[in-house]
Amino acid sequence: MTRVPPRTRRNRTHIVVFLAPAVLIYTAVMIVPLFETLRLSLFTTSGNHFVWNGVANFGVLFFDERQSLGFWNALRNNVYFFVIQMLQNPIGIGLAALLALPRLRAGAFYRTAIFLPTLLSFVIVGFGWKLILSPLWGVAPSLLGAVGLKGLFAPYLGRESSALTTLGFISVWQYVGVPMMLAYAALISIPDEIIDAAEVDGVVGIAQFFRVKLPLIWPTIGMISILTFVGNFNAFDLVYVTQGALGAPNYSTDILGTLLYRTFFGYQLQLGDPNMGATVATMMFLIILAGVCVYLFAVQRKISRYQF
Amino acid sequence: MNALELIGITKRFGSTEVLTGIDLCVDEGDFVVFVGPSGCGKSTLLRIVAGLEEQTSGNVRIAGASADGVPPAKRGIGMVFQTYALYPHLNVADNMSLALKREGLPRAEIERRLAAAAEMLELGPLLKRKPAALSGGQRQRVAIGRAIVRAPKLFLFDEPLSNLDAALRVNTRIEIANLHRALGSTMVYVTHDQIEAMTLADKIVVLNAGTIQQVGRPIDLYTMPANLFVAGFIGSPKMNFIGGDDALRAGAHTLGIRPEHLTLAANAPRWSGTVRHAEHLGSDTFLYVRTSAGELTVRVAGEAHVAIGQPIGLSAPDALVHRFDDRGLRLGQSSAG
Amino acid sequence: MLAAHAVLIAYTAVAVLPVLFIVMNSFKSRRAIFLAPLALPGPGSFDLVGYTTVLKTGAFGSYFANSLIVTLASLAGIIAFGSMAAFALAEYRFRLNTLTALYLMLGIMIPIRLGTVGILELMVAGHLVNTLVALILVYVASGLPVAVFVLTEFMRTISDDLKNAGRVDGLSEYEIYFWLVLPLVRPAIATVAVFTMIPIWNDLWFPLILAPGEATKTITLGAQQFIGQYVTDWNAVLAALSLGIFPVVGLYLIFSKNLIRGITSGAVK
Repeated sequence: MTRVPPRTRRNRTHIVVFLAPAVLIYTAVMIVPLFETLRLSLFTTSGNHFVWNGVANFGVLFFDERQSLGFWNALRNNVYFFVIQMLQNPIGIGLAALLALPRLRAGAFYRTAIFLPTLLSFVIVGFGWKLILSPLWGVAPSLLGAVGLKGLFAPYLGRESSALTTLGFISVWQYVGVPMMLAYAALISIPDEIIDAAEVDGVVGIAQFFRVKLPLIWPTIGMISILTFVGNFNAFDLVYVTQGALGAPNYSTDILGTLLYRTFFGYQLQLGDPNMGATVATMMFLIILAGVCVYLFAVQRKISRYQF
Repeated sequence: MNALELIGITKRFGSTEVLTGIDLCVDEGDFVVFVGPSGCGKSTLLRIVAGLEEQTSGNVRIAGASADGVPPAKRGIGMVFQTYALYPHLNVADNMSLALKREGLPRAEIERRLAAAAEMLELGPLLKRKPAALSGGQRQRVAIGRAIVRAPKLFLFDEPLSNLDAALRVNTRIEIANLHRALGSTMVYVTHDQIEAMTLADKIVVLNAGTIQQVGRPIDLYTMPANLFVAGFIGSPKMNFIGGDDALRAGAHTLGIRPEHLTLAANAPRWSGTVRHAEHLGSDTFLYVRTSAGELTVRVAGEAHVAIGQPIGLSAPDALVHRFDDRGLRLGQSSAG
Repeated sequence: MLAAHAVLIAYTAVAVLPVLFIVMNSFKSRRAIFLAPLALPGPGSFDLVGYTTVLKTGAFGSYFANSLIVTLASLAGIIAFGSMAAFALAEYRFRLNTLTALYLMLGIMIPIRLGTVGILELMVAGHLVNTLVALILVYVASGLPVAVFVLTEFMRTISDDLKNAGRVDGLSEYEIYFWLVLPLVRPAIATVAVFTMIPIWNDLWFPLILAPGEATKTITLGAQQFIGQYVTDWNAVLAALSLGIFPVVGLYLIFSKNLIRGITSGAVK
């Protein structure tokens, strides 16, 4: 008997129909503009035309004092902001560990309450904290006074030395709910039997968390960290709302997001420049790419995933 | 006319070939069981018959007509799935009548068929319930009902009993056998359980590694397995295989003896050894005996009073000793001892 | 267990009290706000002057409507297109499957804001600047990667038997998607909806850049500019902030049960 191929191939157009809208919109509005931005960083504007400029824009950004001081300052601030921001992970995971305790009562209430700030916009969070920390209004001093620390109060957001740190903590306050929720979900998906076995083996309490639970949720923690890293470049809104586009006071809270905004659109005396804006965006892209690659190739490989 | 005809069916996923040149004819009204270990390709073959999977090459003919490229709903089949696959958001009646509505049958006809199937499967009181409110056995009956109402030319069952507990499995097995008798339709049934195959089938198709090992009536597979694979797969406990000099003397590469065909022999035993372990089931006793020919399993009817470590002699009538050549294929019945 | 509760209560206070202070003081007179900021509004201090100022001055009704339109339309697009793509990726074997999935999920790691220069160029070319359509397109594109990722994972867990039963019963592939699979992934869709809705509603960057005009202003941008203008009118600022808090908190309290169930049921692991 000879083998005959089936006569009619089944119609597969539905696969294209299912994929087309998502792929088209995503490509047209996200990927193409992204590459267009990367491309524009290699051009400069002369009259109405873009002129090929090689990597000269990057030279200006790195070494021309008019641009480079701002860039390095913003980059430094961004790194510092990220370091503070990372504090949200141990705090969030710690809270999740408490919430995941078996037989904890009112867990849903705590989860709901702690996640609440995450839902608010930067506008509300930024202005709200600005008011609370304002020396004009007595909320912060009175509160500190209530716990006997009135002497610690200072106009945190107004001082160059503390403004960025304060913003970092505000951001931690807002987003601690995200690592908490993700870690909580990971913790409660550890099978009860494993925890029971640990109890029988005498691994209890804090030791149980560090020896049994934590190793099992490392993949989630890795993912949370990389999301924090990427999200950190979206921190424009918070700075813009509380300190303005110039990263007041005296650029001490200027980060790459605000720098991109000013460079691209111009602000006050500075004229907008799409090519330099694109150059800043390209640098942010490269930094994120580097971070993600480090994560994928160095960190994630060392993390074992466990199937339950 | 054949109810189902498979001609040179081959299926490849990427570079792995899961089915190789399957040829098979199923007669009208037959109950055919595809059986084999997991990964042998039996489910893929069933899915190709159903049209849920497309064969890489070869042809499927159902009731004399080519089914190649025909979508599942137009093949005149009814199918019962391993996980029941009831639509969770529809009640029992809607689950069973969906396909009929899609075919555009008149309402009265749908009602009539639904009532008949509900009667046959005793589903009447459950018709308005959602699947979540049914027990496992009830879900199974609804799944069967969904296939019955379509009055298909071909029933397909994909391991329908594997999610039921042991007691329910036996009951449902008998129900399915009764159903086959009552409807007289052609049924193709996939299972990895050789007991289901032996008890249900008119004809068993044993598959291994993507090829048909043997096709035949259950009793023929038991008495005349075509090769070592079938010999070892059909029957429980497994057939004993003996190689070496014993086999050579019988003119074979391997001898096969079913545990129930070994008898305890006090005088002039063919093999002697010691009892290593005994399982007392009441109806039978399984003895695991260490002999010079390897470990042999012996099935003794009723209770056998033996002690562990006790020396024992074993024999088997030549007529019941299977002989296989060096490729594992069956030779004629042993003539010489 | 007591220590655990102490820590959780303490942190809950840290999380909730600042929000509470804002809302509380928005209902007080200017004098009371400064004299006793920590006191609850009472008969002597209750005052709605802030709210009347906000509602009189800003075009908050129209801002709110804009935000609502943008958020709901974006959400509809993300859920519809995202779930369709996820279904194709989870259900069918085809040559470019893995590549398409990777391509679509690339966007999880890259913030769409980096493409702003190119996006503005695109919107200018398409005469879409200062339209809500521009915002909706951007939000749909930026929300798709996460939606596709989460929904693909979730759709893989749906039994093949069920979909095959549908095929045997004569459902088309479109009907299987819409009628069998979508209802079953509703919890995952709810999770995706909440998680994509928050950043869209709260976004300041794209409204500022693509649609800063009065007619297309969203509530977030409108509130930011209103507060910027009225910094010294504490009543108005506190009222504006509270108005931004209420809808979000209200929605959250309604959905929080589903939300947490959605997260913990394995949609995001």
